[in-house]
Amino acid sequence: MIEMLAPYALMLIVAAVPTGIWRAGAVVLSRSISSQSLVFEWVRFVATALLAGVVAKLLANPSGALALAPDWGRLGAVVAAFAAFMAFRRSVFAGVLTGETILILSVYLTQH
Amino acid sequence: MTSNTPSSTDETGSPNWGAMFDGIKDALRLPAWVVSAALIGVGPLAQAVGHPIGAAMASTIFVWAGPAQVLFYGGLASGMAYPALAFVIGLSSMRFLPMTMTVMQMLRRPKQSILMQFAIAHFVTVTVWAECLRRLPDMREDRRVPYFFGFAVTCLVLSTFTTAFGYVLAGNVPTHFAAGLLFLTPVFFTCSICAGARDMPDWLAIGMGAVLEPLVLHVAGPEFDLLVTGLVGGTVAFMIKMNRRSKVGTLA
Repeated sequence: MIEMLAPYALMLIVAAVPTGIWRAGAVVLSRSISSQSLVFEWVRFVATALLAGVVAKLLANPSGALALAPDWGRLGAVVAAFAAFMAFRRSVFAGVLTGETILILSVYLTQH
Repeated sequence: MTSNTPSSTDETGSPNWGAMFDGIKDALRLPAWVVSAALIGVGPLAQAVGHPIGAAMASTIFVWAGPAQVLFYGGLASGMAYPALAFVIGLSSMRFLPMTMTVMQMLRRPKQSILMQFAIAHFVTVTVWAECLRRLPDMREDRRVPYFFGFAVTCLVLSTFTTAFGYVLAGNVPTHFAAGLLFLTPVFFTCSICAGARDMPDWLAIGMGAVLEPLVLHVAGPEFDLLVTGLVGGTVAFMIKMNRRSKVGTLA
């Protein structure tokens, strides 16, 4: 019984808590700040820059199967995705589709 | 599109739960499918370390952060010590602090309980955050929370099933498609962040984040690179925004 529950307990303690702590912390912090406060605007910019950094990190240090894509494939795919996103009046669908096509092709071509 | 009635604060305070269906509809238009496809990748990782399918699905429900789940199962596979793994996951999830604060600012209401706010916070992810930035500012306040739950719960439920799907599929996906699944997160993050950009300082924050991270990585190391990148890039963009606003004059 205990062994059966171990994977769940491990996931909760090692992954869910360290992630949830930031979400809960944000709730507590937000309660003491007025909605009109400039702090929220600053925080939004920090989140935006941080997320762009997450993307750069995921692409520069790929994990798993993504590491099989050549550098030009990962960089080219994300640049093409952005170009398509803008060209199609900020269409997320066009961006994702274009980026995915190029990335999958780049892996396929390197392997064949 | 959702109804874009100008925001007002004259309501009695009761949420308009009909807006939930708009949230569900918007989620099923694309975002829920992309997030849930990205989470297909978590299934095989859980399977590889011998965890049951239920634990993989529960990780999507309770962690609800793709990169953290990938780190968790990847870390277990490489034999990392649990405290070290928890620490690394905690650092990688730091983005939820500023993201959730942004969402709370738009969703909180005068008599909302803290339990309700914790519930809202649990559902915050990049996809949900980006959608909130795009839709909520023009939405009437009584529609916002129901819309949010409609959208976010749809994403989570669908992703829980695709995590299971990935678990069953494990090992049977050609590598180029497996790479494509892992690429979904960065490419979708990119488009989502850009979709929320409204003016030059927004674009500056995005550009600085992307350019700074590889540089900061060398200086601050892999633990604190994202924190420093966010603080520096975000603060510079914020200061430029304030500077422009003070030049324009009364726009505050």
